[in-house]
Amino acid sequence: MRGLEEIHKDLDFWGFLHMGHHGVVPTPIGDVNIKTLVMTWGVMILVALFTVSATRGMKVGKPGKLQLMVEEMFQFLRGLVYENMDYRKGAGLMCLIFTLFIFLLFSNLIGLIPTMMSPTADINTTLGMSLTVFLLVQVLGFKYTGGKFLKHYIQPIPLFLPLVIVEELSKPITLAFRIYGNIYAGEVLIAVLLGMFSLTATLLGGFVASAIWLAFSIFVGFIQAFIFTMLSIVYISLVVAENH
Amino acid sequence: MESVIGALNLNATLVAQIFNFIVLLIFLRVVVYKPIVNVLEQRQKAIADNVAAAEEERKQAEALRQSYLAEMQKSKEEAQAIIQQATKAGEAQAQQILEAAKAESVRIKDSALADIEREKEKAVAILREQVVTLSIMVANKVVSKQITDNLQHDMVNEFIKEAGDLPC
Repeated sequence: MRGLEEIHKDLDFWGFLHMGHHGVVPTPIGDVNIKTLVMTWGVMILVALFTVSATRGMKVGKPGKLQLMVEEMFQFLRGLVYENMDYRKGAGLMCLIFTLFIFLLFSNLIGLIPTMMSPTADINTTLGMSLTVFLLVQVLGFKYTGGKFLKHYIQPIPLFLPLVIVEELSKPITLAFRIYGNIYAGEVLIAVLLGMFSLTATLLGGFVASAIWLAFSIFVGFIQAFIFTMLSIVYISLVVAENH
Repeated sequence: MESVIGALNLNATLVAQIFNFIVLLIFLRVVVYKPIVNVLEQRQKAIADNVAAAEEERKQAEALRQSYLAEMQKSKEEAQAIIQQATKAGEAQAQQILEAAKAESVRIKDSALADIEREKEKAVAILREQVVTLSIMVANKVVSKQITDNLQHDMVNEFIKEAGDLPC
């Protein structure tokens, strides 16, 4: 049984821990977690490769496997959006929702590859995305319902303002911490399982625990990406609805 | 606040991640989003077209079926008419043949009767001549010595007359 620090050092195949101060590199915009950023770029490249290869030479009559995957994903998300809001308002948001889902999904899954890490296992990523959604919610709310949207902050009486602000802020924070907690815990348990068994024990059956946990993590990755996307849709639909 | 940020390990990565996400959003919007929407729309349109075309074809098939049914009915009636006509013509022909045969038989019978009559007359004439000759020869033998030529001539004539009156 080895400690987590030790395991993380062993898993540092790409040498991120040697950059800056334990992977935290100072840049002009401030300190950044270099491993998170590199993994994010990796995810972006993968997403780009996946979607581009799926959408080149698309066929109407006889779609390929990749095309079908992307199409089904898109239609599934579009179904969710159209269930929750007006068709015209929803159509403009489809690209954002699709990007959100596919980015989170790939982010969650990339951490399951040995020595890789999920960008979503870093609170900076998840909080950044939930804040983006939060800002979008505010902007869309103001755009679609105008003064009524601002008025809901002081309803039923102005005394409620702090409460409403807390309520509004709790949305992006819970959104961020939910996915962060799930994915980070998954990665920690992967590391713990790696440290728990010696090499002999692993070969003699200790790998089963890891395999089961990895399989479950794939499931969790899908579920968490779905929940984040679904809640974003719900939050947006709440403010764009006519009868707010 | 500082302590919270420190405890959560929050730093400029957050800003960078927002930036990354927006970059990815723009990339997908420009490169990927349009083809997907396009192909979905095209598929929807194709399906709608197919349904419409199927409906159209079904209608055409129904019309075709109706016209075939009508045609079949018509040809059935025509066949019926032809059969009736043929039956009538056959009957007429049979009647004609029968009449012709009757007429022929009458004609043959008549001609046969005429032949018989002629033959009979011929036979009567021959018989008459022979009877006369025979009678003369017999009479000649009986009265050859007593009858003069004159008398004989009168007797022959009388005999011929009597013989002519005989029913044969």
